[in-house]
Amino acid sequence: MGELLLDPSIRVWVFLPIVIITFFVGILRHYVSILISSTKKVELQQVEDSQTLIRSRFLRENGKYIPKQSFLMRRHYFNNEETGYFKVASKRPSQAPNPITDPSMMTDMLKGNITNVLPMILIGGWINWTFSGFVTTKVPFPLTLRFKPMLQRGIELMSLDASWVSSASWYFLNVFGLRSIYTLVLGENNAADQTRLMQDQMSGAAMAMPPDPKQAFKAEWEALQICEHHWALKNVENDLIGITAGHQEQSSVASQT
Amino acid sequence: MRTRKEKSGEVVAYSEAAIRHNHSILEYCRTSMSALSGFTAGVIGLTGILGFVFYFLVAIVLWLIILVKVGSSWDKYFRGRLNLLTNGLGGGLFTYVLFWTFLYGMVHVY
Amino acid sequence: MWKAVIFVSIVSLLHSTFSATQYRSYLRLVEQPFAGVLPLDILLQALLSLLLALVAIVNVCANFKEIRALDDLKYKSVETISNRASFYCFNHRGRLL
Repeated sequence: MGELLLDPSIRVWVFLPIVIITFFVGILRHYVSILISSTKKVELQQVEDSQTLIRSRFLRENGKYIPKQSFLMRRHYFNNEETGYFKVASKRPSQAPNPITDPSMMTDMLKGNITNVLPMILIGGWINWTFSGFVTTKVPFPLTLRFKPMLQRGIELMSLDASWVSSASWYFLNVFGLRSIYTLVLGENNAADQTRLMQDQMSGAAMAMPPDPKQAFKAEWEALQICEHHWALKNVENDLIGITAGHQEQSSVASQT
Repeated sequence: MRTRKEKSGEVVAYSEAAIRHNHSILEYCRTSMSALSGFTAGVIGLTGILGFVFYFLVAIVLWLIILVKVGSSWDKYFRGRLNLLTNGLGGGLFTYVLFWTFLYGMVHVY
Repeated sequence: MWKAVIFVSIVSLLHSTFSATQYRSYLRLVEQPFAGVLPLDILLQALLSLLLALVAIVNVCANFKEIRALDDLKYKSVETISNRASFYCFNHRGRLL
């Protein structure tokens, strides 16, 4: 079957409203989640732990630039058997964050669900219920039969070409496709965009804590223990005045070129 | 701060914040480009493979416009010229298809 | 000024949309088949306004920053060199003053 002629009032009363509703629900969700979001409280202990881990990593990577004694002193601070930070920290009673006992975490999860999942279900269900069973539009490119269940939810017509789109599926296409428009309209870090969460994790490396600090401490302790100290500035005086020890001729040639 | 060895052997340091800033501007341009080109493709009623070709054509046009704006000193602002074209090209395609379908439906189906 | 250009071009794009819709419904009324190509004026209007919008958008968004770290540092004075965030000490006697 080639051309289907659709009633123009479907365009005005089904096709357009779905786009508009999806768009404004996204914007509304952005503002609602700003309204109810709480700044995440960071425990002092957590910050201390993560900063210590960062310091230890710096020591491992850049320890070659400090004298051996200083390196050993720092390593001793982290690693010694009785009072080393990692030893003490990994003996601390673990306080695994339990979402059931910790009310703030519960509310955080609840808020996340309210702003993300609930509108999806509610508006999706409402649109499914209000605008059910319309053939709304046609994608301008041919599709294989595989796409039929995806694009024609709510219409079971075997003979209908796969490129026709039903109203429910049009809603879902909008939900996914308008995401980048939100960044355009609402600015970079908007709440309508789920990828924001990933950016938070990237930038807040110091804030983010591995789920089990003990494991991280143990790994860091091991890495630091096997880390050897190679003094990188052994020939620094000679380097400064342009002489490399043992390669005097070569370096003088190199400095000329 | 990120560094990279040039071909001539000198080490060039790049400022991370400036790269990110430029990248977000590019993202902005690209999203607008996909939406607008999808709009136009729907209006003029492109179908099938022609529509996708149109998207890539418009992407190239946008690339040229940016290059013209930046001028001859492009290496001050970007690390590669071809990166400008290919960066996020696939991500904008979804927006493009949505707008294309939307306008095609509005204009040509009913 | 470029914002006005964006506005104008989008309005023009919308206008060409309406013209195309009118044209399609006109074709249906006179029961002619659609040839696959719109009349040239609508086509040109759509394409040109797209081009105009692209140029305007590229010009309206903020200028690019120079990514060479040296260019960035050119505007900083010598004093900022001694500013090391990692060595900030908040636990000093100034708290008790």
